Amino acid sequence: MCLRSPRQAALKKIRPPMEFASYLLPLFQLNVIGAIALGTLGGLIVGALPGLTATMGVALLIPLTFGMTPVMGLNMLIGIYIGGIYGGCVSAILLRTPGTPASAATVLDGYPMAARGEAGKALGMATIASTIGGLFAAVVLATLAPQLAGIALKFGAPEYFALAFFGLTIIASLSGDILKGVLSGMVGILIACVGADPISGVLRYTFGVSGFASGFAFTPALIGLFALSEVFTQMERLALDPGRAMPVTGRWPSRQDMSESKGGLIRGSLIGTIIGIIPGTGSGTASWIAYNETRRSSKQPHKFGTGYAPGIAATESANNAVCAAALIPLLALGIPGDVVTAVLMGGLMIQGLAPGPMLFQTNPDVIVGIFGGTFLATIFMFIFGMLLIPLFSRILLIPRHILAVSIVIFCFIGAFAINLNAVDLYTMVGFGVLGWGMQKFGFSQPAVCIALILGPMMESNLRRGLLQTGDDVLAFVSGPITLLFLGLAVLSLVWPLIAARIARNVTLPSE
Amino acid sequence: MKKISTLAAAAVAFATPALADYPERPIQIIVPYSAGGSTDLSIRLVAESLEKHMDGATVVVRNQPGGGGTIGTSAALHGRPDGYVLGAAAQGPLGLAPHLGGTDYTLADADFIGLFARSLQVLVACADAPFSDFDTMISYAQTTPVQVGNSGAGGANHISAEAFAKAADIQVESIPYPGSADARTACVGGHIDAMVASPAEALAASQAGQMTPIFVMEDARIDLFPDVPTAVEKGVDFTWSSWKGLIAPKGIDAAILASLRSAVEQVATDPEFVKKMTDMGELVTYEDADTFAQRAAHDSETAAGTIEDLGMTGMNN
Repeated sequence: MCLRSPRQAALKKIRPPMEFASYLLPLFQLNVIGAIALGTLGGLIVGALPGLTATMGVALLIPLTFGMTPVMGLNMLIGIYIGGIYGGCVSAILLRTPGTPASAATVLDGYPMAARGEAGKALGMATIASTIGGLFAAVVLATLAPQLAGIALKFGAPEYFALAFFGLTIIASLSGDILKGVLSGMVGILIACVGADPISGVLRYTFGVSGFASGFAFTPALIGLFALSEVFTQMERLALDPGRAMPVTGRWPSRQDMSESKGGLIRGSLIGTIIGIIPGTGSGTASWIAYNETRRSSKQPHKFGTGYAPGIAATESANNAVCAAALIPLLALGIPGDVVTAVLMGGLMIQGLAPGPMLFQTNPDVIVGIFGGTFLATIFMFIFGMLLIPLFSRILLIPRHILAVSIVIFCFIGAFAINLNAVDLYTMVGFGVLGWGMQKFGFSQPAVCIALILGPMMESNLRRGLLQTGDDVLAFVSGPITLLFLGLAVLSLVWPLIAARIARNVTLPSE
Repeated sequence: MKKISTLAAAAVAFATPALADYPERPIQIIVPYSAGGSTDLSIRLVAESLEKHMDGATVVVRNQPGGGGTIGTSAALHGRPDGYVLGAAAQGPLGLAPHLGGTDYTLADADFIGLFARSLQVLVACADAPFSDFDTMISYAQTTPVQVGNSGAGGANHISAEAFAKAADIQVESIPYPGSADARTACVGGHIDAMVASPAEALAASQAGQMTPIFVMEDARIDLFPDVPTAVEKGVDFTWSSWKGLIAPKGIDAAILASLRSAVEQVATDPEFVKKMTDMGELVTYEDADTFAQRAAHDSETAAGTIEDLGMTGMNN
C-alpha cells in the first residue's frame, strides 16, 4: 500500500487545469516539436531498413540527447521508438522483410497485398492502424497509467508461462495443416534451445562455436526465414519467367476495407495496450496474438494470409499500441516493459531523473511532457507515413531481378549490422534455406517465428517457477491470471472444432 | 641517394610505428554488450572525452554483444595489437567467464589501460520480503534460503550474491533472469526476496517504497546511503564492486600503451566527464594499469572459489 500512496498524491497534485497547462509549455516550443518530428522521421527510416531496429536507433542517439532539456531529449527518443516500430511495416509489406521483429506478423497479409499490386493500400492501412493503436495507447497512458501499471507487477513465472503457452496455441489455429503447423512449431522451439541454458548458464548445442553462445540471433533469423527464403523462391520462378515489375496503387484503403477492419483495429489496440504493460513481452508477441484473435473472430477467417486488410489492421495497431503502453510501467513504476524502454530508462537516468512513482511528484512537467510528446510523435508518424507511401511503393517498380539482388544485399547488411557478428550471417543464410524448404513443402514459417519468440519465454519461466516453488507444479495451474491464459489457450485450441460444429448446424437446415 | 634514404626512412617508420603518428586511424573500443546499457553509455562518454584529450584522435564505439559479453571481449583481446583496437573491461566476461569455460581467452591475455569508474553494489530487499535489514535477513536465511534474483546465470551479480552467502554462511537460492530489467521487475512485483542493485537505482526505488536497501558491498558506508550498513561492519568479510575500464590485447608498442594510459587518466579526472558520469549514477575513480590489474586478479580469484563451490567450474568446456 505504501507503493500506491505517493503516486496518487502526485496525481492529485497535477490535476488542477491551470497548473497542467503550464506543464505543457516546455513541450510546445519550436525546437522541441522539431526534435520530435526529426526523431519520428529518423525512426521511420531506421525501422524501414532491415537490420536497423528501433532499439538500435534509440540507443545510438542517446548521447545526442545529453545536452538537451529532458522533455526535448526524451521525446526525441520516443519519436524514434514510435517511428521505428511503425517503419518496420514498410519493408515487411513491400519486400517480405520484417524491418523490426514487431512487423513479422504484418508480412502475412501485407506482402500478398503488395504482390497483388495493392502495396499503396496495404501501407495506407498499416499507417492508419499504427496511428489508431498508438493514439489509443497514448490516451490510456495519459489517463490510467498509475492504475494500470499494477498489472505489470502481477506477472511472476507461472503467469508468464501461461501467457507464452497461450501464445503458442496460435500455431494450431494459424496453420492450415495442423500436423505441419505443430511440427514447424516444434522445430522452432528446438531451434530456440540453442545457446546458454536460461537457468544454469550451460551452453547447449553450440558445438564449440562461441558465436552461438547466445543462441541464434533473432533478427538475422527472421530476415533469413522470411526475406531470403522469398528471394530463393522467386529466383526459381524468375528462371522460368523473367516477370514484370509490380503495379502500385493509391494509398487509401477503400471504405469496405475500413469497415471490415474495425474489429481488427479495436482488438489490436486493446491487445497491444495490455501486452505492452506486461514487462518483457513486447510488440512481437502482441502483434501475433492480435492477428490470431482478429482472425478467429472474423466472419471470413479463410481470407487471412491471402492479403486481407484487417490482418494488417490488427498487427500494426497492436505493435504501435505497445510503444505507448510500454511507457506505463516505466513511468509509473520505474520498470521497463521492453528493450527500448530499458534504453529509454538509461536516457532518463542520464538526465538525473529516476523513473518511478516519485517522478510524478518531483517532475510532473516531464511526465506531462512525455504524455504530450507521445501524442505528437504518433501524429507526425501518420503525416510522414502518408507522405512517404508513394515514394516507398516506387521500390516495387524496380524490375524483379534487380530488386531480388538488392534484397539479398540488404539481408546481409542487416543481419551483420545488428551484432557485428559474422556467425549471424550463417544464421541468416541457414534460416533462408530452411524457410525456402518450408515454403516449398507447405510448412508454416510463422509457426517457427512464434516458437522462436515464445519458446524461450515458456521454458525459462517454467524452470524459474519450479525453482522458486520447489518443484510445485500446482503453482502453474492456480492464480487468476494463470487460469485466465490457460483457459484462453484451451479455447484457442478447441475453437476451430466448435466453430466448425456451429457452422454445420447453421448451414444444415438451409440445405 | 635521396630516394634511397627516403625509402629507408619509410621502412623504419613502417617497422616501428612512431608514436608521433599515433593515432592516424580511428581507434575502436569494443563494447561486449548492446548499445544503450550502462557499460555502453559510459564507454561512449569515454570515447567523447578521449577525442578531446588525444590530439587528432577519432574514437568509435563498436557493440559486439552476445554470450554474456564473451564474444566482444574475445574480439577485443584477439584484435591486432596496434593500439587501434581496445576493449571495455567488463567483470563478467573477463573475470568470471574463463572459470566457467568455453572462452578462448583468460584474464592473462589482457593488457590493462586503466579503470575510470567503479559500479558500487547494494543488496536490496524486494517488495513483501520477509526481512527488512541485515540482521533479520541473516536470521531468516538460517532456516529458509533467500531467493536472490540476478541478471543471468554465471554473471557478475549471480556470483557476487553466492560469494556473499559463502562469506556470511547463509543459504541463498539464486533465481536467474534474462537481464537486470527483468530481475528488477520481479523484485518490485515481490516475486523474489532480494537482488543486487546499483546505488542510483536502489535510492530511487527505496524512496518510492519499492525496495529496502540491506547492505552496501563496500568497506565503508557511502554518501548516498548514510544509514545503510556494510557487510564488513556487520562482521562479514565481503566487498564487491564491478569495474568500468579499458583493456587492450597484449603486445602493443610500449610508447603507444603509455600514451593511452595517460589519456585515460586525463579522462577520468576531467571535471566534465566526471559530472556526466556522476549524473548517470557511476562512481568515477581512477586506478592505473597495475592497480586495476591487481583488482581484476583479486576479483577473479574470489569468483573462482565461488564458482568451484557451485560446481560450475569448466562447465562450458
